[in-house]
Amino acid sequence: MIQKKIREKAKELLEKKVVDLIVGFGEWTLPLRTTPIFIRTPEGADHLIWNSFCENNLATYLHKFSHFKVGVVVKGCDARSITALSLEKRFKPGQLYLIGVPCQRMVDRRRVKKAVKGEILRAGEQGDQIIVEGEDFKTALRREDFLYPSCQVCIHRTPRQANVLVGDPVEETPMVETHPEIKEFEKKSPEERWDFFEKESSRCIRCYACREVCPMCYCAECFVDSSNPKWIEKSLSPSDIEFYHIVRAYHQTGRCSGCGACERACPMEIRLTYLTQKLNQDVKELFSFETGIEAETPPPLSTYDIEDRQEFIK
Amino acid sequence: MEDHWEPKILAFLCNWCSYAGADLAGTSRIQYPPNIRVIRVPCSGRINPLFILKALQSGIDGVLVSGCHPGDCHYISGNYVGRRKSATLKRFLEYLGFEEGRVQFSWVSAAEGGKFSQVVDEVTQDIKKLGPARRFVKKIGSQ
Amino acid sequence: MNLKLNKKDFKPFLQTLMDEYDLFAPVQLTEGVSVYKKIDHPGEVDLSTANPQKPMKEVFFPQSETMFRYEKVGEQNQVVSTEEVKRERIILGARPCDIQAVSLMDEVFSGKEYTDVYYINKRNITTIIGMACGHPFSTCFCSSTGGGPFLRNGSDLFFIDLGESFLVEFLTGKGMTFQKNKFFGEASTEEINLAKALEEKALHKTDASVPVKGIEKRLDLMAESPFWDRVHEKCIGCRVCTYLCPTCHCFDIVDEALTNKGQRVRNWDSCLSSLYSLETSGHNPRPTNRERTRQRIMHKFNYFPKNFGRIACVGCGRCILYCPVHFDIRQAINWTSAKRLKLQRGEPLTNP
Repeated sequence: MIQKKIREKAKELLEKKVVDLIVGFGEWTLPLRTTPIFIRTPEGADHLIWNSFCENNLATYLHKFSHFKVGVVVKGCDARSITALSLEKRFKPGQLYLIGVPCQRMVDRRRVKKAVKGEILRAGEQGDQIIVEGEDFKTALRREDFLYPSCQVCIHRTPRQANVLVGDPVEETPMVETHPEIKEFEKKSPEERWDFFEKESSRCIRCYACREVCPMCYCAECFVDSSNPKWIEKSLSPSDIEFYHIVRAYHQTGRCSGCGACERACPMEIRLTYLTQKLNQDVKELFSFETGIEAETPPPLSTYDIEDRQEFIK
Repeated sequence: MEDHWEPKILAFLCNWCSYAGADLAGTSRIQYPPNIRVIRVPCSGRINPLFILKALQSGIDGVLVSGCHPGDCHYISGNYVGRRKSATLKRFLEYLGFEEGRVQFSWVSAAEGGKFSQVVDEVTQDIKKLGPARRFVKKIGSQ
Repeated sequence: MNLKLNKKDFKPFLQTLMDEYDLFAPVQLTEGVSVYKKIDHPGEVDLSTANPQKPMKEVFFPQSETMFRYEKVGEQNQVVSTEEVKRERIILGARPCDIQAVSLMDEVFSGKEYTDVYYINKRNITTIIGMACGHPFSTCFCSSTGGGPFLRNGSDLFFIDLGESFLVEFLTGKGMTFQKNKFFGEASTEEINLAKALEEKALHKTDASVPVKGIEKRLDLMAESPFWDRVHEKCIGCRVCTYLCPTCHCFDIVDEALTNKGQRVRNWDSCLSSLYSLETSGHNPRPTNRERTRQRIMHKFNYFPKNFGRIACVGCGRCILYCPVHFDIRQAINWTSAKRLKLQRGEPLTNP
């Protein structure tokens, strides 16, 4: 069982003082959720769990604990974020120990909530089903029908970059050339596409949850907070909100692992992964680059190829 | 919209090639549309996507970014790096819903006064067809 | 006196209100997401969710509010102040927790020395129609914070959902001016008894066990406790809890300027932002997330009680539901009472 192996490994790492701290998932007060936990003693390792609700990208905590030797429980996407961060020299060699878990894909708790009437008080997993219980209902839902959008299109679920794998590698979905969602979206006219973006971003409350959960957003001063030059204002003006989302997404070009943490964090349920998926697709098409797959390949916007495409340049 | 709307186009020209090319167009007395406002930058690689977005947000109807031909960059590889940024940014903006042709890119060398005026002419015609930029523009007082 | 409103008359009833007032009610922006907004037609009202994401305080204290505009005309700067709101307002569907929170904010914004004209103007012209919570969430802990799902304090009228109709209570002079509305009928004894039964049931559902009592004194002793080293760990420093909190009221004032014109705008701000306490010298008295998390909890449960005599939390549970990393304030409060010893041994703060 994966959970048992995670606990054993964590215990071992802490006993042998390979790491000072383990970041993993623990049980929480609400159903359909786990929570990030921080273990410092071997006994504490028994609090670590693993299930289909381990939705956070724990790589984002590595910036906070940068002066410790840290062990992290990582899914495929999290490990790719960490590889990308290592390329950006955020970690010293040997500072991290990755406990890799081949990912079964995470369940979208918000869609599960909408599929039933009444508050969900308890939830569990049984085989390929999610069982949810409320005051006067108990329903079984097919897990595969309720995966997060980013998980549905994920093709690198096994964290091969990890120091250890606590499960058998997952059989990967075959590569798709274009995300079907992107292809459909690109059939719309520019007016319709901007309508969609405007509508989604109109709900934004500038809470920056998307920015803070993202492991790749670690600038000491975000462009949003810059006052000289002042790029955008802090109010809810539609134009400034759109500017924020365009730039935040664009800053992920060649860096985004597609984990979807941004979209899951948004309290107003704004579609965010449809932006980063397009950027990831373009980077793959133009520069044959996928974030976090190779530990040596430099990020695409930090380098160049003499033969890069330029048919769009007059 | 007024009958006599003229587009405002911002042109980021690299100092060593495109800006010199624009100068040459001037000294050669080649006519080109007066709609562009030039901002001189050291290299096309200096262009931060934030500049282009800020321009569009401010009501600029179109943006042209022009630099040295590949291999001729004064800073050796600035235009190569800029090329990658330009490619990804252009695709992303069009995906979002900015019309194709609002943001354009060119290579113009210091000797290409003629090409510069031709590029400006084409870009101006394209923007005229697209109409004024409306959807992303920030207006004070539109809360 | 108890009257009732049949649900089949609900939309025409709303129309009668809208003929004379600006009506604010929860509106669904997308499935699962709603906010308080001005209604343009009765069909927009969505009372199906227990509580909209954004709290009711928005009606009096908008997230972005223009204070005045200016424009250079010739050599002169013309300043145009934002107009006083004249048309009276009604808020429909506000829950007791949000209403309690607004009463708390009233003390901040209409203090003895300073009054916030923007807030007071809107507050004075507003009638609040409270809505009882027949189905509180498991995350609702209003009963622990001095509130309750059927608490009527602060409402001018109070609606209780009976299924086919609403029971209507008139609680203040302002509320009683609506008694003559043609859609109100007399409530039967069964309906009144049903309302009482629903109230009993709801009271048992909300969490009254969160140890808020005495927290001010406990926190007095904890300013430098290693407790904060653990509590802040998983917080990523976004602003979801502060923006969705009905009692949070910090704001930032900025001038937005174009060449010849501009405006002064007030926006919500959050103490969890690293810029919040950053001084011009570059010094930041709350340099890391640890200090900022401590500040938030201390403010709500220690400083605010010292200044205003009550804790700055109404137990609505939004911070628990929407935190991206699932921070649970009830756990943090529990931990202040029991687990400090365990923390020194380095055990994780997890659900026991």
